[in-house]
Amino acid sequence: MDWTKQIIRYVIVMLLQVLLFDRLQLGGVCHPYIYVLCLLMFPITLPHSVDMLLGAAVGLIMDICCNSLGIHIAACVLLMFIRPYLLGAIVNDRDRLNEQISLRALGLGGWIEYVVILVVIHHFAVFQLGAWGWSHIGFVLLSTLVSSIVTISIIVAYNMLKFK
Amino acid sequence: MQNLIKILLRYSNFLVFIILEVAAFMLISRNNAYPRSSMLSTANALIGWQHERLSNIGAYFSLRSQNEQLAAENADLRNQLSAIDSLRNDESMHYTPAKAVQMTTNKMHNYITINKGSSDGIQRGQGVRNSEGVVGIVRTVGHDYSIVIPIINTHTNLSCRFAKNDYIATLQWDGKDSRFAQLADVAAHMVVCPGDTIVTSGLSPVFPEGIPVGIVENSVLKEGASYYTIRVRLNTDFKRLKYVEVVQNAHQEELEELNHGLD
Repeated sequence: MDWTKQIIRYVIVMLLQVLLFDRLQLGGVCHPYIYVLCLLMFPITLPHSVDMLLGAAVGLIMDICCNSLGIHIAACVLLMFIRPYLLGAIVNDRDRLNEQISLRALGLGGWIEYVVILVVIHHFAVFQLGAWGWSHIGFVLLSTLVSSIVTISIIVAYNMLKFK
Repeated sequence: MQNLIKILLRYSNFLVFIILEVAAFMLISRNNAYPRSSMLSTANALIGWQHERLSNIGAYFSLRSQNEQLAAENADLRNQLSAIDSLRNDESMHYTPAKAVQMTTNKMHNYITINKGSSDGIQRGQGVRNSEGVVGIVRTVGHDYSIVIPIINTHTNLSCRFAKNDYIATLQWDGKDSRFAQLADVAAHMVVCPGDTIVTSGLSPVFPEGIPVGIVENSVLKEGASYYTIRVRLNTDFKRLKYVEVVQNAHQEELEELNHGLD
């Protein structure tokens, strides 16, 4: 596994997140968190608990950048916790997954299922924890829907480019 | 004992998950009203510096509107200069100019990072205004940067009064539109008209009396309700906010101590 590649991708995606997507004024319900791309594309060679610690670190850096200490940590750890179970449910033959999580290994249907489920769970967790209570649930659901669509489109576009 | 270790090892992943989530939830609930740590937020010197450089680049693209705003402010200051005698009475107020280096306007909990911190005498609880009106209150102070909670944050409660008859009310924000806030505690016997001016009440030491807050956009009195639902158009244009002033009240500590003595 190429660690430098992972780190360079993370730095670029994080810069895009903080410099571009956090600054776009796209109305109150559109906050795409594209940095989850790095977590989704992260290889599954490491132990599960190390994966979750990495998720916590990625979440902490995001939290520091947007003054929301704890929220992104919780959402990223949740994402990294669910990830191997979801992959196990989608792919029967785990040997095909030993390195990269790619379109080729998962198949188009499985790959989209994987991205959509994890992005929606992560975004819902971020917005719900931000609202901290059930009184804004309509607003939270709408934010989750709109933001997830944007994030998923960007992740799909990124993988299309990579395949060409 | 061996069995216990076996069980722990078997569920170690789940344990790690629970520990991390509990830690995250503790951080969220502790941090919920406003960022408390100046290290783990945009008041951090490194993150603040990076945001400042960026906003410096962005500033070139809004030079024109910035110039217009500064010209308007100059005019306003000249007007105030002519009324200097009335200002002399208020020597306890000191204004520190600052620049907003980072801010959000489209979340429920918005924050503004400004490029002044404890080294410039900024303290927690000081008010922040600009030439248009009230901006917010300083909540987290780092050495060179501070975080301001603007009135467009759902945690804000600002004491205001109607300019026409000094009726006291509380300004709150519903998290939806950065141009409008809501006014609570206005009883049904008041006559509220669209266009009424709302200013700071001067009841708290944070802001002096009479800083413009907004203008009543519309008011609704529901059947049987004893309080109005009032929508206020805010004077401050948060989407274009760049230069602010921190209000430092020389008597703030004394006044707050007196208030604490009452509790």
